[in-house]
Amino acid sequence: MISPELSETEAIERAKQGDAECFEALYGLHKRRVYSLCLRMTGNTAEAEDLTQEAFLQLYRKIATFRGESAFSTWLHRLAVNVVLMHLRKKGLPEISLDEALEPQHEDGPRKDIGARDNVLAGSIDRVNLERAIESLPPGYRIIFVLHDIEGYEHNEIAEMMGCSIGNSKSQLHKARMKLRDLLKLSRAERAARR
Amino acid sequence: MNCQEFQEALPHIVLESGGNAEEEAHLRSCPSCAILVQDLRYIADQAKLLLPMHDPSPRVWSNIERSLRSEGLIREGRMSLMGHITLTPQMNFPSQSKSWTPLGWAITLAAVIVSAVMLVNYHPVSPVSQEVLPSPAVSSLEGTDEQLMGQVAQQPAAVRSAYEDSLKKVNTYIADAKKAVDEDPSDQAAQQHLMGAYDQKAMLYEMGTVRSLQ
Repeated sequence: MISPELSETEAIERAKQGDAECFEALYGLHKRRVYSLCLRMTGNTAEAEDLTQEAFLQLYRKIATFRGESAFSTWLHRLAVNVVLMHLRKKGLPEISLDEALEPQHEDGPRKDIGARDNVLAGSIDRVNLERAIESLPPGYRIIFVLHDIEGYEHNEIAEMMGCSIGNSKSQLHKARMKLRDLLKLSRAERAARR
Repeated sequence: MNCQEFQEALPHIVLESGGNAEEEAHLRSCPSCAILVQDLRYIADQAKLLLPMHDPSPRVWSNIERSLRSEGLIREGRMSLMGHITLTPQMNFPSQSKSWTPLGWAITLAAVIVSAVMLVNYHPVSPVSQEVLPSPAVSSLEGTDEQLMGQVAQQPAAVRSAYEDSLKKVNTYIADAKKAVDEDPSDQAAQQHLMGAYDQKAMLYEMGTVRSLQ
């Protein structure tokens, strides 16, 4: 008989022994964060569900190798990120194309449209609109932004995971934020026009 | 340093800590670049407050379970008993040692019902009458939250702080989602955000109640 309440560490140890209920309990504890990560990185519900499934299957296949050097959630999260990136690479990389960051674009260079005090974003956007704007980002920008600004990975970690230079990671993050700024200002203007 | 030079350097400037002396000097003298940096910092700060808000459909677990069985990774036995085992929540909380009491169930049920009633009775106001209010980075605690904080008052400071911080974040999320629903009551995505935010709050109450029963 399993205790109705169990620490995560105990659940991990029991899952290593093949305890079905502990597998399910670990899934219940982490599914939301893993699925949200997959959804934010892919922008596609069906893909996010498939990738969540694959991430947890890999987790369970490898759980015996988890030694606790890092937090379980950190380990799982990194695993999930790698599953998503591998999936996108298999799709032929356009989803995570670094070319978007490396090729000169019209939005490069100094911005001329900024300066008016009433253009400041602070205080005028909320998280719902920010989520929508993130969904609208080009995939290459979105992945770097999600990994760095939402999930808290450092540029050196992103560069390692993405197979790019640290400079590329910084450049793409900057462009993602600039694009978000444009999207949020547009969203704000549209909301104002509806009133 | 002119604007072009500054904006070329901007991707390599760490927004949290600022640039070098030359870049900082340019920021002080250039309102345009200062506003740009302020906006980018704001976006980065807001992104850190985003919570995981979506759950996968039940079929994801069904597929996982089927695969685990076919691969022989799990022992035969009961599955699909989500909720049978309650794992100690995140943030490295110490393990629970007591089972739920009837009082615990009652408190949690009450919290869930309160959240549900709040959601059901939430009537968005007309967008016409809605004023644009700035979205606070972190909201304050609400009246009912003090009750939860009282429940975890005997916990270590780090745990209390984690609860308070989580409550503030989820309150902010609720406020944002309400605002989005107010602006467009037919916006289904906004309604889902609101339901998800209340769901998270109910979960916090549940976690807090479990801890208070230790």
